[in-house]
Amino acid sequence: MKSFTRELIRLVGRDAVLWRPEDLMLYEYDGLSSLRQPDAVVLPTTTDHVVGIVKFAAREKVPVVARGAGTGLSGGAVTPEGGILIGFSRMKKILEIDLENQRARIQPGVVNLDLSLAVSDQGYFYAPDPSSQKACTIGGNVAENSGGPHTLAYGVTTNHVLGLEVVLPGGEVIHTGAAHWGRPGYDLTGLIVGSEGTLGIVTEITVRLMRKPEAVKTLLAVYDRVLDATRTVAAITARGITPAALEMMDGFTLRAVEDATHAGYPKDSAAVLLIEVEGLLENVEEESDQIEAVCREDHARDVRRAKSNEERELLWRGRKNAFGAIGRISPSYYVQDGVIPRTRLPEMLEFIAGVAEKYKLQIGNIFHAGDGNLHPLLMFDARDEAQHQRVLKAAREIMAKCAEMGGSITGEHGVGIEKNELMPLIFSPDDLDAMRKVKSVFNPAGEFNPAKLLPSGKMCGELRVQVSAGA
Amino acid sequence: MITALDRAQTELANIVGAARVVSDEGTRASLSVDGKTPGLAVYPPSAQQTAEVLRYASHERLAVIPCRNATKLSIGNPPRDYDIALCMKEMNRVWHYEPEDLTISAEPGMKFGDFQHFVGRHGLWLPLNPPGGASASLGGIVATNASGSYRCFYGTPRDMALGVKVATTEGKVVKAGGRVVKNVAGYDLTKLMIGSFGTLGVIVEMSFKLFPRPTERATFVLTAGTLEKAREIRRALQLSPIRPLRAALLDASYMEFLKESEHLKECGGGCEIWIEVGGSERVVGRCSSELKQIALRANETFREQERNSTMAGVWSRIDDSYSGVRANTDDWLLRVSMAVSAVEEYMIRANRDQLRPEHFWRCWAEPLGGIVHLWLHPHPEPAGFEEVIHNLRRLGEELGGSLVVEIAPFAGKAKVDAWGTIGDDFEVMRKLKDAFDPNHILSPGRFVGGL
Ligand SMILES: Cc1cc2nc3c(=O)[nH]c(=O)nc-3n(C[C@H](O)[C@H](O)[C@H](O)COP(=O)(O)OP(=O)(O)OC[C@H]3O[C@@H](n4cnc5c(N)ncnc54)[C@H](O)[C@@H]3O)c2cc1C
Repeated sequence: MKSFTRELIRLVGRDAVLWRPEDLMLYEYDGLSSLRQPDAVVLPTTTDHVVGIVKFAAREKVPVVARGAGTGLSGGAVTPEGGILIGFSRMKKILEIDLENQRARIQPGVVNLDLSLAVSDQGYFYAPDPSSQKACTIGGNVAENSGGPHTLAYGVTTNHVLGLEVVLPGGEVIHTGAAHWGRPGYDLTGLIVGSEGTLGIVTEITVRLMRKPEAVKTLLAVYDRVLDATRTVAAITARGITPAALEMMDGFTLRAVEDATHAGYPKDSAAVLLIEVEGLLENVEEESDQIEAVCREDHARDVRRAKSNEERELLWRGRKNAFGAIGRISPSYYVQDGVIPRTRLPEMLEFIAGVAEKYKLQIGNIFHAGDGNLHPLLMFDARDEAQHQRVLKAAREIMAKCAEMGGSITGEHGVGIEKNELMPLIFSPDDLDAMRKVKSVFNPAGEFNPAKLLPSGKMCGELRVQVSAGA
Repeated sequence: MITALDRAQTELANIVGAARVVSDEGTRASLSVDGKTPGLAVYPPSAQQTAEVLRYASHERLAVIPCRNATKLSIGNPPRDYDIALCMKEMNRVWHYEPEDLTISAEPGMKFGDFQHFVGRHGLWLPLNPPGGASASLGGIVATNASGSYRCFYGTPRDMALGVKVATTEGKVVKAGGRVVKNVAGYDLTKLMIGSFGTLGVIVEMSFKLFPRPTERATFVLTAGTLEKAREIRRALQLSPIRPLRAALLDASYMEFLKESEHLKECGGGCEIWIEVGGSERVVGRCSSELKQIALRANETFREQERNSTMAGVWSRIDDSYSGVRANTDDWLLRVSMAVSAVEEYMIRANRDQLRPEHFWRCWAEPLGGIVHLWLHPHPEPAGFEEVIHNLRRLGEELGGSLVVEIAPFAGKAKVDAWGTIGDDFEVMRKLKDAFDPNHILSPGRFVGGL
C-alpha cells in the first residue's frame, strides 16, 4: 500500500478507499473507457470528507474526478490522467424535504428516481427524468445539466436547481444561489450546472419539486414513413401545443425495443411518436384531440391512447430501455447526442440515412424529438477496427451537420473527453477563451477533471474516443 | 489643453462615426445615474463596434455604463465613475426568427413592446412583464434578469434565453449558448451574463425560446380579511390542481392606493388576491370553479374581474411599479425575495414592527413567487430613515430571504447598500469580475459587493 493510500484511509476510513487494481478496474470506464485507471477511489460520506480529500490532492498535485453512477456517456467520470476518483455512492441522503416551498435539499449521490419516489405519495415529483433515472445520480445530472423525455415542458436540470454547495480546488466551500428566487449576484449556480465537474465538486443540491398534474394522457402515433413522423413534431408545436413529452423512434429501433420489452410498438411501422400531455383533465382531453388531428393530417396510420396506467408505463418502459434493447442485438453501439432546430428533423433524418449508407453502417434513431435532440445509435462490432473507425467518422459527420444547421454538438450527454476536440465546430477561439477564463477562476491549476470539456488542441478526438457503451 | 475625454471623443468617433458620439449637455444629463453625468454618450451600431468601444475604454480606463434609455438604471449602487454612456438604441434588429421552432435572436436595443408585437403576429410571446413594460429594452431585461408576476409560472429570462453574444473589454464578440432549445456544450456563460447588470460585458445579441400565448386569459379576485387568511388561501391554491399564470396579494395599504388610482371598490380594510389563469375556455372555466371553491372554504368572496381598464390598470401597476415610483424622487422601492411560505409572515411582521403611517407605504406580494414588494414614500423623510430599511432587510434575512433596494432617493443610496449581505461565494464573483473586466470599467461599483 502506498503512503498516498494510507493518507486517504486516515481521512475517510479504511472501508471508504479502494486501491487494489482489481477494484479500480470497475472505475475505468463509464460510457467511454479511459486509458488509465484512477490511482485510488474514495467514497466519502460528508462534505468535510470531500474537503479533506481535495486539500490532500492539491498538496499532492494529483487530479480529482467526481463520479456519480458512471452512467455518463461522454467520459466525464473517468480518469484519463489518473488521480483520485471521488465516488458519491455513499453521499445519498435526502437532507430535507420542504413541500410547502416545493424544494428538497439532497446529497449529490441521491439517485434521480429515488427523489421522485420519496415525494410521490404526497403528490410531488422531481421533473428532470433522464432515461437512466433508475441509476444516475442527481450530482451527475447537475454536472451534465441532464435532460429527459419530460424536459420539453418542464425544462432541464438547470431550471430545477436552486442552490449548490460546492468544494473548490483549494478546499474552500461555497454556497451558491438560494432556496428562493432572486438572490442578487452572479448566477454561479447556473454556471456550475453543466460544468461537468471541472469547476467544483458539488456536495449538496437544493432542487425544486413539482406538483403532479391532475391528468396525464399518453398517445402513440404510428407511421409508415419516417418523414411524416418528423413533420408532425414541428406541426404540433406550431399549433401552440407544448406536450410534456414528444419522443420519436424509427422502425429499426422500435423493433429492437419491442422484441426486448413487448411494450406494444407495432413492429411493421417505420416510426412512432410517443406523445404525452399533462395538466387539468379538460386540458388533457382537448390537447389529445388536437394532437391526434395533427398526427392524422401528417398521415399517421394509427393514433393510440394508452387506456390504463399499466399500458402507459409499458410504453415508457420500452422507450427508457431502448439503449439496453439495442445492446441485445448489436455487440457494440455508439450513442450520439446532437441538437437541431426541430423544423429541420425531416432533413436531418435523410442526412443520417445517407451517412449510414456511405459508411455501410446500421444507424438507429431515437430522439427527444420535441426538443430537436437527436440520439442516433451507430451499431458496430468493436472487434472490427475498421468498422469502429467508420463509426467515429460517421458520428463526426452527423455532429458537423448539427452545427451547420445552427444546432449543438450535445444536448444532454455533455462534452467530456468525447467531444472536447469537436467544440470548435460551434465555438470560435474567442468563445473558447471566454470559457477558459471561467475555468481559470475556479480551477486554475486544472486539477479538477482534467482533459475534459475544453479542447486541448493536442489530439484528434476521433482517435481518442474508445466507445464501450453497450459492449 | 486636450483632456482625456476630448481625445476619447475623437478616438470613439473613429470607431462609430462622429455623429454617434454625443457630448451635448442635454443628452448627457438625461443619461445621468445617481447624480453622475457621463462625459460622452456613444451609440454603437454593431456588435463589433461595441466591442471596439469597450476595448478603447478599458485601455484608457474610462468608466462605461451600458443602457438603452436609462429606464432601469435606478437599480444598483451609485457608480464610482461614469465617463461614457453606451446607448444600445441603434442595435434593434432581429437576426433570426423561426416561429415554427419558437426561437428568435434579436439585438439589445429592441424595445420589449416592439418585440412582443413582432412575435405576437404568430400567437407567440415572451411571457415576461418587466418593470418599464413596453419601453424596457431587451438588453436591459436580460442584463437585470427582469421578469414580473408571470415568473411563478414561466420563470425568468434565465429560463428563456438560449444564448447570448457579448462584447468584452478585450474588444471581442463572444458567443455563449446557441439558438436551439437544448444545449450543454461548454460552460453556460449565458447564465453568467444574465442578471450580471452589465458588469462583465455588454450583451449585443440574445436568443430566446418563445411561448404560445394562452388562447384565453381571465382574472379572478379572492378577498382575504387578514394576512393569515391570505396564507390559508395561498396554501389551498398550491394544493389545487390549477396552476395560475400569476397571482398578486394586495394588502390593505395597497388596496387603499388602488381605490384612489384605479377606482377600485372598498374591500373593508382587508386584502385581495388577484389571480390570472390561462388556457382554453373550458380550462378557464374549470379554474374559475376551483377558485370559487377555495374562496368558499375560506369563507371569503370570489369574483371574476371584468376585462376592463381597471383590470389592466391593476396588473400594470403591480408589474410596472417603477414607472409610478420613479416620478417621485423621494420614494423607496424594495423587493424582498424569500421562500413562498414566508411571504405572509414577512408582511405581518413588517406591518406590526417596522412600518409607521408616516412612511406612507404600500405593500404587495407574489405569493406563489416568494416576493414581497414594498413602496415607501416618507415625506418628508424622517431622520435616520435608513434604519427602517435596514430593519426590513434584517427581517427578510431572518426569514431566509434577501432584500434589494430597487429605487431609492439619491441621499438614501449613499447610506444603504442596494444589494445587501454578500455570501461565501462572493470571492468567486470578484474573481470573475477581474477576469472579464480587469480594469473595472463596466458599471464600476454598482453591483453586489461593490463590483
Ligand atoms: C441508458 C442511458 C440512458 C440515458 N438517458 C439520458 C437522458 O435521457 N438524458 C440525459 O441527459 N442523459 C442520459 N444519459 C446519460 C447519463 O445518465 C447522464 O449524463 C447522468 O446525468 C449521469 O449521471 P451519473 O450519476 O451516472 O454521473 P457520472 O457518469 O458518474 O458522471 C457524470 C459527470 O458528472 C460529474 N460529477 C458526478 N458527480 C459530481 C459531483 N458531485 N460534483 C461534480 N461533478 C460531478 C463527473 O465528474 C462526470 O463529469 C443516459 C445514459 C444511459 C446509460
